[in-house]
Formats: sequence, structure tokens, C-alpha cells
Amino acid sequence: MSEQPRPEIAVDGLPRPKQAGWRQMVTSADHKDVAKILMVGSGGFLFVAALELLLMRLQLAIPENTFMEPYTFNRVLSLYGATSIFFFALPLVIGLFLYVAPLQVGARGTALPRLSQMGGALWAAGAVVLYSGFLWTPSEAGVNPLPPLSELAFLSNNGVDAWLTACGFATFGFVLISIDLATTLRIDRAPGMAWRRAPIFAWTAAVGSWLMLFIGPVLLAAFTMLMIDRNYNGTFFVDGAGGAPLLWQHLTWIFYSGAYMLILIFAFAAIAEIFAVFSGNPIFNRGAVMGSIAAVAVLGTLAYMQNMYTAPIGLGWKYFGMLMSLALIIPVGLLFFNLIATLKDGALQMRAPLLFAIGALSAISLGLAGEMQQSLVGAAWYLKNTTDSTADTHFALVGGAVFGGFAALHYWFPKITGRSMGEQLGRISFWTLAAGTLLAFVPMALAGWEEGQVVDAYKFFNHTGVNFYNLLASIGVLILFIGVVLVLINAVASVKGGARAGHDPWKGDTLEWFALSPPPPHNFDVQPDVRSDRPLRDIRAAIARRARDVEERAARQSQPVA
Amino acid sequence: MTPHSPGTGQINTLIWIGFFAALIVVVAINLGLFGALRRFRGGRGRTAHAVQGKPGLQFRVAGTLAGFALVLFVLGIIFTGNALSTPKTTAAGLTSLNGEKLEGEPLVIKATGQQWLWRYNYPNGAFSYWKLVIPVDTEIEMKLESTDVVHTWSVPDLAPKVDAVPGKDTQVIFRADAEGEFYGQSATLSGQAYAPMRTTVEVVSPQRFEEFIKEQQRGIKAGQEAAERIETQKLKEEEAAEGGSSEESTSEGESE
Repeated sequence: MSEQPRPEIAVDGLPRPKQAGWRQMVTSADHKDVAKILMVGSGGFLFVAALELLLMRLQLAIPENTFMEPYTFNRVLSLYGATSIFFFALPLVIGLFLYVAPLQVGARGTALPRLSQMGGALWAAGAVVLYSGFLWTPSEAGVNPLPPLSELAFLSNNGVDAWLTACGFATFGFVLISIDLATTLRIDRAPGMAWRRAPIFAWTAAVGSWLMLFIGPVLLAAFTMLMIDRNYNGTFFVDGAGGAPLLWQHLTWIFYSGAYMLILIFAFAAIAEIFAVFSGNPIFNRGAVMGSIAAVAVLGTLAYMQNMYTAPIGLGWKYFGMLMSLALIIPVGLLFFNLIATLKDGALQMRAPLLFAIGALSAISLGLAGEMQQSLVGAAWYLKNTTDSTADTHFALVGGAVFGGFAALHYWFPKITGRSMGEQLGRISFWTLAAGTLLAFVPMALAGWEEGQVVDAYKFFNHTGVNFYNLLASIGVLILFIGVVLVLINAVASVKGGARAGHDPWKGDTLEWFALSPPPPHNFDVQPDVRSDRPLRDIRAAIARRARDVEERAARQSQPVA
Repeated sequence: MTPHSPGTGQINTLIWIGFFAALIVVVAINLGLFGALRRFRGGRGRTAHAVQGKPGLQFRVAGTLAGFALVLFVLGIIFTGNALSTPKTTAAGLTSLNGEKLEGEPLVIKATGQQWLWRYNYPNGAFSYWKLVIPVDTEIEMKLESTDVVHTWSVPDLAPKVDAVPGKDTQVIFRADAEGEFYGQSATLSGQAYAPMRTTVEVVSPQRFEEFIKEQQRGIKAGQEAAERIETQKLKEEEAAEGGSSEESTSEGESE
């Protein structure tokens, strides 16, 4: 019996105990359950955010439209900003990190599970606050609520307070989860898993957690100050009373730039895993990839003043922002280079995860190239706050969070649910999304560049030369919305109706595929010994070798002695 | 954009430099990506065999990228600096105002952003709302301030975007090269009527400019006088209606 393969693999496909119900899931401190709450929630909020974007684009489909009142538009805009960043992109990224990274390093759980549980609960509380705020009076202060507009004197209802509370709860939750993740990845890796052997995605989860530990508290500080201003007669951002409106921009842009980078490095890491598995090659120069991911996190956050080129800060600081932004070319370029080189001489299986990963990389290349143009100080004096800058940011973030997120979703869905997502619908939704993204954001970029159409405005005027562009962009967003809905339908339908996947449907090299699908609460019956950066491949080879040995011995024994 | 000032000309060039840099990057990445997709598609008995990069490959790639970034950085600084360098008033521009010679000094105009319009103050006390009138070929120093929230003054064809932040003094210096009307719009969300918070800049000849600010001055003076007349007339009417005896009670009421 000692010749049996690993027990995890032996019980695969056997009937297993009934899955825990939702009641158990919401009270569980298991990292997989907390992550599931974040991911399911973020899927729902993706739908909401896409709907809000569609509503705004309906208003902007024709010039001088009266479909929405100005204040309604500003409310939808403010909700869209909060929903897309704090309730879709970041929980998806952090949820996937929290689900996959501990499995990838062969940990049996997380180090501080109660922190993650509290983080998940805080995030959910934030979501409830944001959308119960919708019932009375939502914020009208925009995507980034700049004081003095967001001060009590200019928006005197409690919408801004609700917005700040919601996003603050969510951010606090992310910080708590990051503490748990950073600790787990530091101390709970399987024996033999040095950082040089850790999967790229787990490494990125560690980098991302540290990044969140730096930027999250900065945002919380800013939110707290604005809450004090609004509710306790504070003067942090009130000019003339010792406060400075500009301070808000510094603090929040640190967070938003860092969050932007967090989403990007998440996407690069997911793409790296997917490229490696679907080409059959190891990641090309993983050392450079790991270093570049850390460099992107640091340089991208330092480049936050790229968002303040028109603000009254010294010219030297603007050049510093430009220097940091342009320095990003080196690690980002290396990432692109090494990821594409991973495909070289591979045998590519054109499955949905690979399609989405390629779409993500292509969209990110468009977005970041645009950001590079925007990072030149003089160029930004024209391009900043035009729809061109919106389009670039959306290319990069839709590429990172939507395409990258969907690539990761298709890739890890079998692990999370035990079933595969529909391949056919996956392809259809991919092409719909790709067409929608291009049609939505290319015309928007042109309207911003050629005619200087400004962002966040509830209407644009006839005879400014942007009618056609805006119509196209609105149609594009409609197609994008349909694509998002298709992916969500695919995911929901596949939870119950997808094909059973088994523990390792893609022949992965990393340890999450060693666990059952879905993994039991303790993740692994046996904690594997890691000897290389492709541990599961080693295990597969060992099993094959052993099976061959058994066969040979049996053959020898059955032979009559001559 | 169609630049009509030396500064925006430089900005436009820099935008095109940025665009070509972006184009190179996008084309290189996507050619590589889709080329690899076409060539290395699996099936048809194809198996993966990992390739190893030559030692030093990463450094060569990183070096190339660093060079690219450095070139962009230097070009960015050069053209941004050019866009900022003050274009002096030419002979065709406004050389004297109110009988005083400007002697190469810029014409100072104050722009005040408030929810949701722009007010422009001219040197002789004249002011205008919505529409800014400036002389052609003249160096304009525009002082920006805001009375309430953050606004961004943006007339793309003439000048860089600059924020008007309450409590901070900001400024933008530019010179219009052609007469005509130029379109502008605030570029930072400032509340409900942010979208219609537009402005136009009318660039006129120096003579027409002097006439304009005199007209404005006369108009403002006439308006103020008319307002004063109406006010005094009202007071007189009130006095007549209430009679002489009520004067005491009014003053008592005021002192209380």
C-alpha cells in the first residue's frame, strides 16, 4: 500500500460531504470563505458599476441631453467611482489574493484568520452603507471628493459622510486582510518554499499586501480629517482657517495611485501564471518578473504627483512625478517582455483564461502607453481632465480588473467551485468585451485629445465637434455592459451546472492545484515538500515514476522464472 | 486642439512626441503578443520546450527601456520649459494702457472662479463675466483665484490648464497669436452647474481692447449711477410715504 499515490489525488472524484451553507460561510474565519464573500460581492458590484457607467453614457449619448438632472448625474458619478474601485476592483484583487496565495504556498490556513474575517465583515458593512445612502441622498462630490466641494458648506446633506464611511470601512477591511496575508506569506510557507520558488501570484499577493499597508492608512487619515471637518467643525481642508484644500489631493492621490498599481500588478501576476500554464513553459526569467512587480508597486505609488500637474505645487515636484512615471517604463517594459517571452516556443492552448489574459495585456498596453503620454508635464496641461485621460485610465483598469480579473476567474473557478466555466460562453463574452472596450474608449480618447472634452460633466454642447465620438462611446459601453453580464451569467450558471473539473484541470505547476477542488477547510491533508519553483510538476513526475516502477515490478513478478 | 499661442504650440509638439512614443510601445507589444499567439499555437503535435535567455539579456532590455525613458524625460523637460518661458509682447500688441507705457511688462488680468462662472478684472477697474477680452500679441499674466471650490481654468488653444484653489494664488502666462474667439471650459468637477461653467476668450486688436475696457468702465459707472439713483429715489419715496414723524422711530429701531 505504500505505493499509493498522494491521498489528495486518490480521493478526487469520490462523493464528498455536503458543502457548508451560506450561514456557515458568513461566520467562518477560513480564508477561502472570506475571499468568496469578497469575490461574489465584487461580481455583484461589477454589474452595478457597469450599470452606472451605462446610465452616465446614456446621458452623454447625445449633446445637451436632459435624460438626467445635473445632480442625479453627479450622484451616479460619485457612486460609480466608489463602486468600481472600492467594491469591485479592490475586493476582487484582494479576494483572489486571499483565496489563492495561501494555497499556492502550501499553507493550511492563514496566520491571523480573525483579522481577515473582520476585514470581510467591514467591507460588507461599507457596501451596505454606500447603497443605503442611495436611499436618501448620495454624495455629489465626484469620483475623488475634493474639498472644499466635499465640505459641509457646499454639500450639506449627509451623502458625503455616507460615501466616506462606506469607502473608509472597505479600506479598513482591506488593510486588516493585508495584515493577515502579509503575515501568512511571511511565516506559513510550506517547507522548502523559499521566495525564489514561490509562485509569482503569491509573491505579488505579498507585495500587494505591503502596498495596501502603506497606502490604506493614508486614505483613512484623509477620510477621518474630512469627517472631522464636516461633523465637528474641523478646519483640515478649509482655507483661511489654517487648513489646506491641497492636502487632500496629496493624501488621496497616494492611495489612488497605489491602488492603481495594486490592480496592475495583480493582473500581471495572474497573466504570468496563466501564460506559464497554457504555454507549457516556465515563466521566462521569474527573478526579473518578481523584481519588476515590486518595482512597479514602489515607483507607481511615488509617481502620485502625476495627478497634480495643474495644482499649485512646485515645478520641481511635477518633474519628480514625471520622473517616477517614466521610470515605470523599465519594470513595466520588463514585465511585458518576459511575459511575451514566456509564450515563445510554447504550445499554446487557446482556452478562455488565455484569451482573457491576452486581452488584458493588450488593453493594459494601450492604457499605460496613454498614461505615459499624460505623464509629460506639458502634455498633461492640455490632456489632464479631458476624456482622453479617462479613456487611458479605463483602458488600464478595465484591462487589469475586468479582463485580468476575468482571466483569473476563469482560471481559478474550477479550484473555487469544483466546476469549470462554460468555454463557449467564455469565448463569446470575451469577444463582446473586447469589442465593447475598444468602441467605448477609443472615441472617448479622441474626443478628449482633439476637442478637449472635459471629464465628469453631465452634458456636452452641440457644435463642439464631439457628438459622433460620444455616441460611439455610449454604444461601446452598452456592448461592454452586455459582455460583463454574459460573464456573470456564465459564472452563476457554472457554479451548479459546469462540468466537474477535478483537482487539476489545467495541469498547473503550483500547489493550489494539489489541493482538492474546492479545497477542504484545512487545505491539504499532507503539506507538500517543495524542491523547485514548479512543485506540482515534481509531484506529477514522482507519481508517474512510481506508477511505472509498480508496473515494472508487477511485470517482473508475473514472468515465469525461466 | 489648434494652438494659437507660443506656449500651446510647444504643448502640442510634446503631445505628438508622447503620442509617437506611445504608438511605438503599443505596436511593439501587440505585434509581439499576437505574433507569439499565431506562431506558437498548440495542437498539431506541437510540444513546449522552454527557452533560456542568454545571460545579460534582462540588463540589455532594461537598458534599452531606460534609454527610452530618459529621452522622453529630457524631451518632457525641454518642451515643458519652452511652454513656460514667457513670450514677450510684440510690437503689434498692446504697448500702452491708460496713457502709460507697459514697457515689456505683461498685462495683468485677474480671473476669479466661483460656482459657476468666471469673472475677469481688468487693470482700469473694468470687469466682465463669462467672456474674457484680451489684446492680440500681448503677454497676459492671469492671476487666478477661487472664492469657493477648486476650479480649473482651461482654454485649450491659448494656455495651459491651471487650477484656481481657494487660499492659493496661481497664475498662468500666455500670449495669443491670432484674433478670434476661443472656447474654454472649467475642467474640475465643481458642483451641479459644472458642465455649463464655460468661458470664451475674445482676442482683439489693441485699439479695440482699449475701447472695450473703456466701454466696460463707462457701462459699469452708468450702471452704478443708475443703481444709486434708484436707491435714493426709493429712500425719498419711503420718507414721503411715512412722513417726518416716523424718522424718530426709525432711528430708535436702528439703535435697538
